Amino acid sequence: MKLSSFRYLVKQGFDNVWKNRVMAFASFCVLLVSLLLVGLSVLFYININAIIGEIEQKNEVIIYLNDDVPQSCVDEIDSQLRALPNVNYVEFYSREQAFEDLKKKMADAEELFDSLEDDNPLPDAFRIRVTDISHMKDTVTSASAIPNVDRISSPDTFVKFLTQTRRLVTLVATAIIIAMLVVSMVIISNTTRASVFARRREISIMQSVGATKNFIRFPFFIEGMVNGFLAGAVATLVTWLIYSNLIKTLNNFDMLRTFGLGSILPYEKIAIPVTLAYVLGGALIGAIGSVLSTRVHLKYRAANL
Amino acid sequence: MVELKNVSVTYGSTGVEALSDFNLTINDGEFAFVIGRSGAGKSTLIKLLLKELDANSGEVYVNGYSLHKLRKRKVPEFRRTIGVVFQDYRLIDTMTVYENIAFVLRVIDAPTKLIRKRVPYVMSLVGLTDKADCYPSELSGGEQQRCALARALVNEPALLIADEPTGNVDPELAYELVELLQGINACGTTVLMVTHAHEMVRHFGGRIINIDQGEVVFDEVIEGAEAEYLEGIDAEYPAEFDETAVEYTTDPSVLTPETEAASEAPETTAETGGTDN
Repeated sequence: MKLSSFRYLVKQGFDNVWKNRVMAFASFCVLLVSLLLVGLSVLFYININAIIGEIEQKNEVIIYLNDDVPQSCVDEIDSQLRALPNVNYVEFYSREQAFEDLKKKMADAEELFDSLEDDNPLPDAFRIRVTDISHMKDTVTSASAIPNVDRISSPDTFVKFLTQTRRLVTLVATAIIIAMLVVSMVIISNTTRASVFARRREISIMQSVGATKNFIRFPFFIEGMVNGFLAGAVATLVTWLIYSNLIKTLNNFDMLRTFGLGSILPYEKIAIPVTLAYVLGGALIGAIGSVLSTRVHLKYRAANL
Repeated sequence: MVELKNVSVTYGSTGVEALSDFNLTINDGEFAFVIGRSGAGKSTLIKLLLKELDANSGEVYVNGYSLHKLRKRKVPEFRRTIGVVFQDYRLIDTMTVYENIAFVLRVIDAPTKLIRKRVPYVMSLVGLTDKADCYPSELSGGEQQRCALARALVNEPALLIADEPTGNVDPELAYELVELLQGINACGTTVLMVTHAHEMVRHFGGRIINIDQGEVVFDEVIEGAEAEYLEGIDAEYPAEFDETAVEYTTDPSVLTPETEAASEAPETTAETGGTDN
């Protein structure tokens, strides 16, 4: 294809958006709604996942050591814990530190602690955090096998709850995203089909004067891409407005801190991937939808009209 | 050249045999009228020649292409060798007159320079220069017809097929169009015109191919008003089949070839033929 023909077909694609503005607007609206449905569902899932992730991160397993473990053994235990596969954080928590923390926590009973000053009943311990809490049980079993470990305190019930919640959220979010994708594809396909159907006569005329399928398809491809691109751009704007206002509202009511939702991603952090996903996704869906819809009519005989 | 050898076409859905053992040869540079009743097989013949339809049996050759063997991907290339004027013109509504005509050249990847030169020339040939920027909906029936003709001519096809091009225009315009087609034919283009307008065929004369029930029942070169054969057909045909003929009979100026309008015809033809070169 010559450059002049390529330029002509690209121009035709752009011109067609305006010439067929009613159907183009319908396709644009459908694409916009579809992109928003899928986009917002994905963002919701990402944030819920991040929140659960942060809660998981705060869950510590405390490993209490036997009394009077020498420092050399403490160092040995430290390195053994660090060598465990699922452990990402290890901190030694001395009995003195534990006693001080307990005193601060129970300031009303200061006298009681004063009397125990010389006879600290608390043991030395390690605080560890695990990467995957669903495998916390295995980690605890491995840690309990280390010599000089007395007992281990792990939030089993909470971990179970979190694991189940994450599984449920993943399942529900995946189902929603898939449903939204399917609904969007059906709506987009029907709209583009209707848009192309309205122009089947034009397609058949082009065929009757000897235009190749690709020559006919190309402007439709460009048209769909432009439509999708615009829908993606507007979806980005709408998402930014919804997302920013939601965070602002949550902040105003101090809800983020109250519910420990500090891990909601700020829009600035997700702006680039969100914009790219919307704009590229929109353009791709628009272009492919248009081209696929022309296929049926390219088989149409001019004589049938 | 157009050649059909023992061609049969049966429509699958209805089982109707549209053409049966059909044979026809039209040599390069010929001008032929194809006439026949509705349902005789004229439209099927055109569809065959445009490769919009495949024959059930037989061989079809058009402009050096063996249509019965032609691969799908070669169809666009083949169609570029034919110019077609459809009865309903089939202009693209969203394109201007200029764009509609230029589209045919765009399809063949013609250089922009050539398009800028050729399209205005063809528009001037059919008298549409001042309508270049109009959309088909802004044109009269006659103008749309001329635009369709310009589109059919713009890439200088070897074969021009006109499918009842005079069906939607008044008699005067119909005469003008045939004169224009004759001019184009004089330049070497083979012209095949399908029509119901027997009065007009009688007026112009030439090779007349009559199709009836899917077969060629008459194929001869006859001369204008002396054509007894056509008078015979007219007697067979009810008047409503020939709307143009009805129109002619109400308009004395075009009723007979001796009228002034008709006698001017050869001059117009010569003029058109001259400019096309």
